[in-house]
Amino acid sequence: MKEKIGVYICHCGGNISDYVKVEELSKMFHEEDNVVVSKDVMFACADSNQKEMIQDIQEFGLDSIVVCSCSPKLHLHTFKNVAERAGLNPSNYVQVNIREQCSWAHSDQPHEATVKAAGLIRAGINRVSYSESLEPIDISVKNTALVLGAGVAGMKAAIDLARSGTEVFIIEKDYFVGGRVAQKETLFPTETNAKQLVTSLYQEMKKYNNISLFAGASIEKVSGSLGNFNIDVKVKPRYLSPNANPQMVKQAMDECTVTSADPFNFGFKSRKAIYKNYPDAWPDVPVVIPELLENEIDYKEKFKTIFNFNEPEQILSLVAGSVLVTTGFNHYEPKEGEYGYKTIDNVITLPELNTLMELNPKQLVYNNKQVKSVAFIYCVGSRQTKGDNKYCSRQCCTSTIHTSLQLKEKYKDIQTYHLYRDIRTYGKQELMYEASSKQGDLYFKYEEKEMPVVEKVDNSTIVKVKDYLTAKMPLEIEADLVVLVTGMVPREDSAQISEFLKIPMGSDRFFNEIHPKLKPVETVIKGVYIGGACQGPKNISESVQSSMSGASKIVALLKRGTVSVDPIIARVDSDICTWCGKCAEVCDYTAIREIEVDDKRVAGVNKAVCTGCGICAPVCPVNAIEIAQYTDHEIESMIDGFLFEVDIKEGEVIQNDQHEEDESTGMKEYPQIWKEILAGIQERNTIPEIIQNTGINGDLVTYHLMTMNKYGIVSPDGMDAKEEYYYYKVKN
Amino acid sequence: MAKVNPKFAEELKKYGSYDFYACFNCGNCTATCSLSTQESSFPREMIRYTTLGLEDEIKASLKPWECYYCGQCSTECPRNASPGELMMSLRRYLTAAYDWTGLSGILYKSLPITIIAFVLIFLGVIAFAFSVQFDLERMLHVGHLFEAIAIGTIGVVILLPNVARMWYFTILKPKAKVPFLKYVKSLGELFIHMFTQKRALGCDDNQLRWFEHFILVIGYLSLLFTTVVLNWFGTDSLFIIILGYVMSAIVFVVTIDFIRRRRAKKEEMTKHSQPSDILFVAWLFWMGFSAFLVRLFIDLDILDTNKWLYIFHLTVLAQWALVIVPFGKWSHFLYRSFAMYFARLKAKG
Ligand SMILES: Cc1cc2nc3c(=O)[nH]c(=O)nc-3n(C[C@H](O)[C@H](O)[C@H](O)COP(=O)(O)OP(=O)(O)OC[C@H]3O[C@@H](n4cnc5c(N)ncnc54)[C@H](O)[C@@H]3O)c2cc1C
Ligand code: SF4
Ligand code: SF4
Ligand code: SF4
Ligand code: SF4
Ligand code: SF4
Repeated sequence: MKEKIGVYICHCGGNISDYVKVEELSKMFHEEDNVVVSKDVMFACADSNQKEMIQDIQEFGLDSIVVCSCSPKLHLHTFKNVAERAGLNPSNYVQVNIREQCSWAHSDQPHEATVKAAGLIRAGINRVSYSESLEPIDISVKNTALVLGAGVAGMKAAIDLARSGTEVFIIEKDYFVGGRVAQKETLFPTETNAKQLVTSLYQEMKKYNNISLFAGASIEKVSGSLGNFNIDVKVKPRYLSPNANPQMVKQAMDECTVTSADPFNFGFKSRKAIYKNYPDAWPDVPVVIPELLENEIDYKEKFKTIFNFNEPEQILSLVAGSVLVTTGFNHYEPKEGEYGYKTIDNVITLPELNTLMELNPKQLVYNNKQVKSVAFIYCVGSRQTKGDNKYCSRQCCTSTIHTSLQLKEKYKDIQTYHLYRDIRTYGKQELMYEASSKQGDLYFKYEEKEMPVVEKVDNSTIVKVKDYLTAKMPLEIEADLVVLVTGMVPREDSAQISEFLKIPMGSDRFFNEIHPKLKPVETVIKGVYIGGACQGPKNISESVQSSMSGASKIVALLKRGTVSVDPIIARVDSDICTWCGKCAEVCDYTAIREIEVDDKRVAGVNKAVCTGCGICAPVCPVNAIEIAQYTDHEIESMIDGFLFEVDIKEGEVIQNDQHEEDESTGMKEYPQIWKEILAGIQERNTIPEIIQNTGINGDLVTYHLMTMNKYGIVSPDGMDAKEEYYYYKVKN
Repeated sequence: MAKVNPKFAEELKKYGSYDFYACFNCGNCTATCSLSTQESSFPREMIRYTTLGLEDEIKASLKPWECYYCGQCSTECPRNASPGELMMSLRRYLTAAYDWTGLSGILYKSLPITIIAFVLIFLGVIAFAFSVQFDLERMLHVGHLFEAIAIGTIGVVILLPNVARMWYFTILKPKAKVPFLKYVKSLGELFIHMFTQKRALGCDDNQLRWFEHFILVIGYLSLLFTTVVLNWFGTDSLFIIILGYVMSAIVFVVTIDFIRRRRAKKEEMTKHSQPSDILFVAWLFWMGFSAFLVRLFIDLDILDTNKWLYIFHLTVLAQWALVIVPFGKWSHFLYRSFAMYFARLKAKG
């Protein structure tokens, strides 16, 4: 039990004190048992007040503090730091939120707001009296990272990690690296050749012998936690003998006659039974499809030295300190009949067109017909206000416009039509949009409620659109090829990855970071980071930026060999626990497993994994498990505190009405402090001079000036000679 | 349902417009145009029709004539799509579209053909002069006759049918319902606009330009009247002689200023002059100037020894009357005022 508690109740410059009688409350709690200091302060977070708190803690030997102010989201760490600087364990600090929960929420009922605040504060005081000093938990970590997915994001992160001395395992599901980028020919905005970009990243990776790439591999099982993840990886066979003669391999590829559809090229090409995705695909080792060669007895006989049809699947057990997920995205697959997809023969998707262009260097030919006009329909599978994919896929406007520029450059005589909802070529990409308009590409704006319709009329394909740029005039566009600008969707196996690694997915099924601004690559699972397009639509530079920041987070985490984690976690009283396993069942993070303590089987909490979520505590039938800082004592005492009868007289709040039209303060007389400040203003003193002359606290002077300004009693009146401070003048 | 035709834009480029593809439909031009109104808003709409190649809509529209090319829109356009010049090109295009002979279009699109026509006319004049053995009296007589006949014929054979076609495109074909009485009641609109170009005053900062244009129209029409009806070159009346001098002087002095401005290329409207624009002002100048000199030479009694001057004047006159009036820019004088008249007819109430 704490016996020397300090309570600080904040005015928040009127935000709280305009409705809640903070002065009265601070007097009230002064009488409370064990409360040594109880003060109301203008701005609890102000430097001057922080200093005062530190002085109080040291002077009165406070053993715990309660600050009653705003949301802990805003200032929990501010005051924990104050405690720490004063030599107090930060766990002996409790923050009570009387702004968002009282003054702001109940500004129309100031008396009730004050009563509620009193209850919350008493609950905070009760809680802090049961607080215990907790120390951060140190966990030793292995300086090894596992990167999942060898797209541009994954490869770039692997290189960064390796360069900083971290050992990297990079796991790629496909037999070849590069991800979606490898499927393209030329990339915006730099006009880089996509395949060369993949090659250069691969070559760079190869320079580091602390990177191990496993292609054709997937994860099978994950256990362990931050610092020591145990990951089982399955590597599929390539059915190629390890010491096959490269010359023979080449010959075998040339002479192979059996083929099947090639998904890498969207079926526009077929691939042989011994293939690479494209000639320069990496690693430079082809893959054999044994099923296709079943009947090719002679062929198999001829090249028997290079094949190894008995090559087994391999399971590797890897240990990594941290995991970076860069599994990327899938292309949205339009439904059959969506804008005529699969029902009208010349409707294809944007990635399909990109491949088609790569395969047609001279003339754009589709279905044996030369293409002279292309109509793009934007936002297909994105921004569906009624469908699943509510988000904008972000890169497709630019991608389409870039493709359009390429079409003109490559095939000259070609007309493009762009049916868009909004053009989102943010940043420098806008210049591409301008170039596209200038080269004569025609733009049409449609709305989701009046979608374009693709129709086959005789032999021609017609797109009908109500064009919002032409006063919704219904227009007909004839096009040789209709291209659906399909958006980005999560990988088909993202649910499985989420299951393995426990990373949450958003409603859009992309992986979720903790906070888009403040923790953009961190997940709720300690040690697991996300980067690239698996997190949501991104272009290459954005993908690489996020994966690189994930990599630097990992380096910072693993470099020291140990990591401290928050001590607010579950703990089991092994005397009481009967190892029924109920807690382990409900724990989403598999933090609980069976252990032995003094020959007894009990539940053990993995400190590195437990997030302190608290799910386990209420399910324990014998009440053996509790969460630090949320013990039964603490919670029950809070309830008691809140229910305690409070005696506060109604009325008399210095209630400053906030309504703007109510200009007068309704006061008979200004408070003394206002009179003093106003006297200073009338003598044309600056704020520092007023502070000096009156001896009033600087924060108070500023606050009251702000208040008086609000009521139109004073107003700013130009700068002083040094242009440092405003003069105020008294208004009448 | 209207069909998009990207080829039309290529056609329009031949009439002088350019870069209008760059338009991304922000509407700044329409917002900035001081003549555009809620009921009749332009120029963005015309750019849109042009890029989409909606020819019927363009032909049915009077908006190109409602623009007086102050150039404000081109200055404000964030994409430098030159909407003002597009409106100008549409006027050239429409002049060609209204012309039943099709010659306007050919002459607008091809400078060489225009030059050939001019040379042929020059040769014709020489041939005529030769046929009358360069007899000044006879040349003057035929010249005067030619002027009167040319005006009548061109008016009836070319200009009148063309205005009728304009009416067909803009009123009849789009099925605008206009009661007959309205045609009569609105006639005032036609003449006010024909002689005053009142609408151009609505453009910001345009007062001087409007005034010059007004003086020029009055000067030109009076000069025409003085030469054709009052037979300036043949008269002995001092009043008519002086009137002719004043009017011809007005014409060439004002056109000098027009040419100076086109050469300075300071204003948006003068930056992109087409041959048709230059020819129009230049020939106006030469007409006024040569007429002035011819009368001066008559008064000094030296025309007989300087017959070349009259041949020159006659050539300019013939080129003007046979090319520029029926197939060139001259007709904007009619189309602009008829456009205002038709617009009134189409307007509600
Ligand atoms: C049509 C189109 C054109 C584009 N053009 C451009 C452009 O010109 N310029 C530009 O900047 N951006 C462009 N983009 C965006 C660009 O494709 C992405 O930003 C980029 O591919 C994202 O890289 P990534 O590594 O995150 O994902 P990906 O490229 O998808 O790579 C992910 C990798 O992870 C692997 N993987 C997936 N799941 C697993 C798993 N479970 N286990 C192991 N490995 C797995 C995949 O096989 C793949 O190799 C375009 C996008 C589209 C749709
Ligand atoms: S980037 Fe453009 S095409 Fe893609 S979803 Fe967003 S608005 Fe639609
Ligand atoms: S607090 Fe949450 S994460 Fe920790 S053991 Fe309990 S259920 Fe698992
Ligand atoms: S639920 Fe309680 S008793 Fe059961 S294993 Fe967990 S801590 Fe032990
Ligand atoms: S201001 Fe320029 S870009 Fe905007 S609508 Fe007008 S012409 Fe188009
Ligand atoms: S040139 Fe002047 S009058 Fe013509 S559309 Fe532009 S702003 Fe309007």
